[in-house]
Amino acid sequence: MIAVLPGLPGAARALMLRDLRLLWRRRGDAFQPALFALLVVVLFALALGGEADTLARVAGAVLWLAVLLAGLLALDTLFRGDAEDGSLEQWMLAPVPLGWLVAVRTFMHWATTALPLLLATPFLAELMHLPRGQLPVLMASLALGTPLLSLLGAVVAALTVGMRRSGILVALLALPLYVPVLVFGAGSVAASAQGLDPIGALLLLGAGLVVALVLAPLAAAAAIRIALN
Amino acid sequence: MSYLDYVIAAYAVFVLVLGWDFVACRLQIGRELRNARRRAARQASHPASAGPAPRQDPDTQSPSELNR
Amino acid sequence: MNPIVRWFHKLGSPPYFDRFAARWAPWAYGLGLLVMLWGAYGALFVVPADYQQGDSFRILYIHVPSAWMSLFVFGLMAFYAAIALVWRIKLCEILAMACAPIGAGFTLITLATGSIWGKPMWGTWWDWDPRLTTELILLFLYLGVIGLYNAIDDRRAAARAAGLLAIVGVVLLPVIRYSVVWWNSLHQGQTIRLFGESSMDPSMVQPLIWMIVGTKLWFIGALLARARGDNLRRENGKAWVAALATGKETPAR
Repeated sequence: MIAVLPGLPGAARALMLRDLRLLWRRRGDAFQPALFALLVVVLFALALGGEADTLARVAGAVLWLAVLLAGLLALDTLFRGDAEDGSLEQWMLAPVPLGWLVAVRTFMHWATTALPLLLATPFLAELMHLPRGQLPVLMASLALGTPLLSLLGAVVAALTVGMRRSGILVALLALPLYVPVLVFGAGSVAASAQGLDPIGALLLLGAGLVVALVLAPLAAAAAIRIALN
Repeated sequence: MSYLDYVIAAYAVFVLVLGWDFVACRLQIGRELRNARRRAARQASHPASAGPAPRQDPDTQSPSELNR
Repeated sequence: MNPIVRWFHKLGSPPYFDRFAARWAPWAYGLGLLVMLWGAYGALFVVPADYQQGDSFRILYIHVPSAWMSLFVFGLMAFYAAIALVWRIKLCEILAMACAPIGAGFTLITLATGSIWGKPMWGTWWDWDPRLTTELILLFLYLGVIGLYNAIDDRRAAARAAGLLAIVGVVLLPVIRYSVVWWNSLHQGQTIRLFGESSMDPSMVQPLIWMIVGTKLWFIGALLARARGDNLRRENGKAWVAALATGKETPAR
């Protein structure tokens, strides 16, 4: 009897179901990035003095930073669990391309860490007195930017997947790569605040996302092979 | 305002950084040769524990990560 | 076989590369030093002071070659890394990793001289103008490559991982540069920084050319020396290194 190979959609579905099941077993973890972002906002407000005008001027930037930093911390869980229990090596042996599995895993990671963040953002925006008109632009830039950050972060996480004490090194590696995303993301909010059209920056984020969707999984797959060979 | 101090500072930075790079490199080479000398001395004085012959280097032609 | 191709293959052998690097690095260093001294002499004593910026203009002759080197070395590092990843050539791994500290040094010089030049010009030690900001991010990219290379124990896997990071960095560098330029125009308007990019009188260009050539020659020397050091470190258990260190053979010192 010939076993039927799963193919790309089948492998994706299996991986997604596994991730959802694992997430369900530790549902509390899904809120941690959002809690961290809330803490960052609180700390910024405390450091800046809490006055509505001051906060409103920097709200877009602070919110972008809060989401970015929360995502950076969540990056640790992208491959670590699979590396520790040997699943990563199974992925390398799978009949489907490693890049596909990486892409699916990154998508699930984004859905479970960044989506709660996105849902929390309007609430955080209220805390920072973000002007109402800027909220749609902020949400759009985050919706385009956070997957891009996850994809770039996946490459960095793959490069450091073997290491036990990667910690600050992951941040040091990821932040220069995050700069264009942050600039266009927070910049689109700043542009809309100045009355300019943010569509240019948003389109650039979109273009970057499309390119990263293709290239980042390939780079991350190559990095995993380097790390585990 | 005298620009002289600034010009001197800039050229000094240039010389210092390149000079440090030169020195650090020489120190590294010296350190590696010293390590090799100590290792050879150790193996000469303990012939029983000399271990296997110096390993050969097989440059395997396995497929590269980017091509797989 | 083509003699050039054969020479490339010979270079891939660690003992041959060691002899090659030990022989040619001092020449590259020495020639580079001479050319740079000549360029610096021209920059400091021959070129007249700029009517706008006075003597601080002379810093350009250090700042611009260093900036070009910082970018050139990063590209070269990514090039060597690409060859190392695709063909698994050990020598290219070594060369790629040797580029990193040297390039980081040039980036540091660019940032420091840019800051020193900026103080009399703008009044502040730092300004978030696009060029300096991009150089600062470039420095972080270099430090990331160096950090990743030192963080992994297996030298070959470490070089390949750091090399992949260098390739990702070189692809993203134009994007970073463009984003910072856009960011600058968004937040500070279209202010044009007069950093000496305006057309230079031909008499003032000569020392710049000497400095550019000199830094390249010095870089070749530094690259060969650092690659030699890394090569010795990797091969430290081998017989030829022991022979070289204890002087049993007659190595070209």
